[in-house]
Amino acid sequence: MSQKQRWFDGVVLGLIRHAAHQAPPALSARLEEEWLADLEGHRGGFARLRFALGCAWATRVIAHELAAPAGAAAASSGRTATLLGPIPPMLSRRTTVAALIGVLHVLVIVGLASGIASGVLQAPATPMHVAFVARAARPIAPPPPSDPTLVQFRPHLPTPQWTEATTGEGAITVPTAQAPTPAAAAAPQKQVVRVSGGPGRSFPNTADYYPPAAIRLEEKGIASVRVCVDGAGRLTADPVIAQSSGSARLDAAALRLAKAGSGHYLPSTEDGRPVSACYPFGVRFELK
Amino acid sequence: MGRWDVRISFQTLKVLEAFLENPTGELSGADVHKSSAIASGTLYPILLRLESAGWLVSRWEAIDPASAGRPRRRLYRLTRNGLARAGEVFASFGRGVTA
Repeated sequence: MSQKQRWFDGVVLGLIRHAAHQAPPALSARLEEEWLADLEGHRGGFARLRFALGCAWATRVIAHELAAPAGAAAASSGRTATLLGPIPPMLSRRTTVAALIGVLHVLVIVGLASGIASGVLQAPATPMHVAFVARAARPIAPPPPSDPTLVQFRPHLPTPQWTEATTGEGAITVPTAQAPTPAAAAAPQKQVVRVSGGPGRSFPNTADYYPPAAIRLEEKGIASVRVCVDGAGRLTADPVIAQSSGSARLDAAALRLAKAGSGHYLPSTEDGRPVSACYPFGVRFELK
Repeated sequence: MGRWDVRISFQTLKVLEAFLENPTGELSGADVHKSSAIASGTLYPILLRLESAGWLVSRWEAIDPASAGRPRRRLYRLTRNGLARAGEVFASFGRGVTA
């Protein structure tokens, strides 16, 4: 046992003896021997100190409880109680608690100053592991799709052996005859002006059909859809992909758009009259 | 004092419970502290209270302190009356009714 521990143990024993001597004389010797014996069951400096402080408190409680009936008996008989001997003057409970707290603080301060408690208060050194965690990549919102524009698809056609007769802006003219017979050549040729249709003003917005997965994958392209439209601008058959955009997602979206646009197509015209016709048009999916 | 001649607190019940685990055994204050975890400031007044009421009796441990190298322990034991009263206390608390 080191000198400091012996000093600390001496403080504890002194507290117990002092507490026992403060008890009623009839119990003083008994409590001192009993408490010193029971102190052996407490290991550790602070446990022993706590036990000793508890004994000091027990002395006050015992004296208080014994004083009450003794005082009552003395008051009734007019004599001073002698069974338990003179009762030590009692401090109020609040004063006693404050004094005990003060004593405890002084002991702790002395213990810290002398290094007795250093072994108790020092936390065991544990290795500190530092792990660098990769910072989660900040999700980047995909750029909003640009306003896809409907472009007029220009299919690759063999070199026409037609004769064109163009009238009006944007009109596509279709030949009416090929290799005219001599009889026909003799007769005056009748030219029919055909104008191909296309998406009308109220046609659905292509951006509403841009697949989110395609936006995340930044897929873009132009899909050519062939539609057959009657004179009222309604589809007469299911639209088909005339030329793929290179993405199945965009092709499917273009077909959905083409179906949704039924009734919103501009019909093809022949000499200004709406007619049923099939024609391709392009759907551009583009990211800005 | 109420129904009992001893003030029955929660700590008192724990002390009695420690003795009822072995009604004929003898326990020192340190033994009761180990089983009930009651601080010494509360434990010893309860032991003296129960002894004054006749629920416990105590005696000194039969050793020679000089040869043993330690003080004698004070050993407490339930009396017949204390055993009966402790049983009544726990029975009444078990029923949840106090007459």
